[in-house]
Amino acid sequence: MQAANKTKVNNKIKMGTGERILQVLIIVLVTLFSLCILLPCLNILSLSFNDGADAAKGGVYFWPRVFTLDNFAEVFKDGSIVRAYGITISRTVLGTLLSLILMTVSAYVLKIKTLPGRNFFTLAIAFTMLFSGGLIPTYIQYNKLNLLNHFWVYIFPGAISAYYLIMIRTFFDTIPESLEESAQIDGCGYFGIYTRVILPLSKPIIAVIGLYCAVNHWNDWFSGAFYMNSSKLWPVQTVLQQMLNKAMASTEENTSIGQLIAQNANTVTSDSLKMAAVIITMLPILCVYPFIQKYFTKGVMIGAIKG
Amino acid sequence: MKMKSKANFYTATEAEVIRAMSKKNGFKNLMKSIWKHKVLYLMFLPCIVYYILFNYIPMAGIVLAFKKYSFMKGIWGSDWVGLQYFKTFFTSYDCVKLLRNTLTVGLMKCILEFPFAIIFALLLNELRNAKFKKISQTISYLPHFMSSVIIITMLQRILAPDNGVINQLISAFGGDGSTFFLMKSQYFYPILFLLDLWKNIGWDSIIYLAAISGVDPSLYEAAEIDGCNKMKKVWHITLPSIKGTIGVLFILGIGGLLSSGFDQIYLLRTPGNMELADTLDTYVVRVGLANGQFGYATAIGLIQGIVGLILVLGSNKLSKKVTEVGIW
Repeated sequence: MQAANKTKVNNKIKMGTGERILQVLIIVLVTLFSLCILLPCLNILSLSFNDGADAAKGGVYFWPRVFTLDNFAEVFKDGSIVRAYGITISRTVLGTLLSLILMTVSAYVLKIKTLPGRNFFTLAIAFTMLFSGGLIPTYIQYNKLNLLNHFWVYIFPGAISAYYLIMIRTFFDTIPESLEESAQIDGCGYFGIYTRVILPLSKPIIAVIGLYCAVNHWNDWFSGAFYMNSSKLWPVQTVLQQMLNKAMASTEENTSIGQLIAQNANTVTSDSLKMAAVIITMLPILCVYPFIQKYFTKGVMIGAIKG
Repeated sequence: MKMKSKANFYTATEAEVIRAMSKKNGFKNLMKSIWKHKVLYLMFLPCIVYYILFNYIPMAGIVLAFKKYSFMKGIWGSDWVGLQYFKTFFTSYDCVKLLRNTLTVGLMKCILEFPFAIIFALLLNELRNAKFKKISQTISYLPHFMSSVIIITMLQRILAPDNGVINQLISAFGGDGSTFFLMKSQYFYPILFLLDLWKNIGWDSIIYLAAISGVDPSLYEAAEIDGCNKMKKVWHITLPSIKGTIGVLFILGIGGLLSSGFDQIYLLRTPGNMELADTLDTYVVRVGLANGQFGYATAIGLIQGIVGLILVLGSNKLSKKVTEVGIW
């Protein structure tokens, strides 16, 4: 296509051909990449709807061969997994709400230019993005605060993110000061301005940061795995991680067939159970994803302005 | 004594506020101003408490790197050991291996992977069909929202020997379909690289796409009149126009050189790739949380933190000098 371009620079029709070839080339490349993302998901989806014993034989590609809902039924029968979903949902809801309240309030305070100490606070917060105490001092601090092995270890330590806080403040900075001034004249205090002027005008950024926080909570396995001994309080990601850990540690060539012999009465293998759990865990994000996608990307743009 | 002054330093935010609020004489204007903003300080209090509790106290806890931690005495009461942990680490057999593995992964992510998002953004930008472009973009962000646990569980199933889909395809085309990819150390870096690329390329391209769409179209028109072809336009206009964005993202990436990709490496470990899947991050978790060598693990974490800080500050300075772009 380059050659075509070079030789016939002034020929509009030929340029069109070169352009078309380029378009086709890009479309093929991008489609291939999209398939790299979709096909593995489709494979897992088919496996989750396929009979476990049958799937262990191989040959299930992108459509279930022996269709069954047993895998999902088994997941919902398993008390520990259902409880883990409960933990995940409650931490996502609680954690996101707390984060949003804390971060919007703090961002509003940091927006007030006349506030003594404002630059110091901003700097102290920004510094934590560059340097931290590291895993062990943090762990000891959680222990001292009696957070280890308590549900609250999911909520409090991640409540404020310096990055999101600065994103929110950047957004708040775009709200015209005249609005605040007029609210002040109408008798609003700082808190009144926050609730009646700033918050109603900040729905887009609240949606973006709320979604980020929710996804982070939903996907977090680390705090469950390292700060929580009792498996009763594990979120579903940690439960899956422990299953994965076991599977990865086994040097056995084929775990699913081995387990199959052990439990041949039941056609749900641990493998197919895992696939069903993976699908259920991905489902909420997959379902809302196409609709909220524009908010996610909007968030990146707001972050970019700051950078 | 030393530790006390450090503790005071880190609680300065709170102390400053209280001091300023209670002082009735002098700094009259400052005091007035602070009093006027008292509601704001009250609103900000949770944030201050949060940062002291969850960031600055752990930061002060770094002294543990120079102490022998005992549960009874706590961080401050434990005995000093000086630089012993650093000596132990740098003379240990593990050191070379850990640094090599960490650097390999870090360089792979910071350097090798870096151009792909730019290329992907350039490709998307050339697409004329808006609907196709939007759908492709939507699909490409998808992996960003899947947790590492989910991704690697899927990967483990797909790469499984014999009945995994990849091996099935290999045997369908007449190859040997029994390769245990995750158990073979020679596949570790390629898998890690492709996985990370797969996960991040779409998301990382958003910011480049935004930068590209901000380029003044008249520049392209001028270049067209001058007889530039597509490649030349990309090279002489698009890339120079977005070099600021590229610079900032590179600086941010380089800071994570010694601490990148914990999730994936930790989850990808198998008995077969242990030699390669052991980086500073996983080592800190292993010796710190699993073996309880708190002081030693803190020292290694401190090395990572300081190197990261130096890299960010250094590359920022360098970038400012060379391209006049910096993150602050």
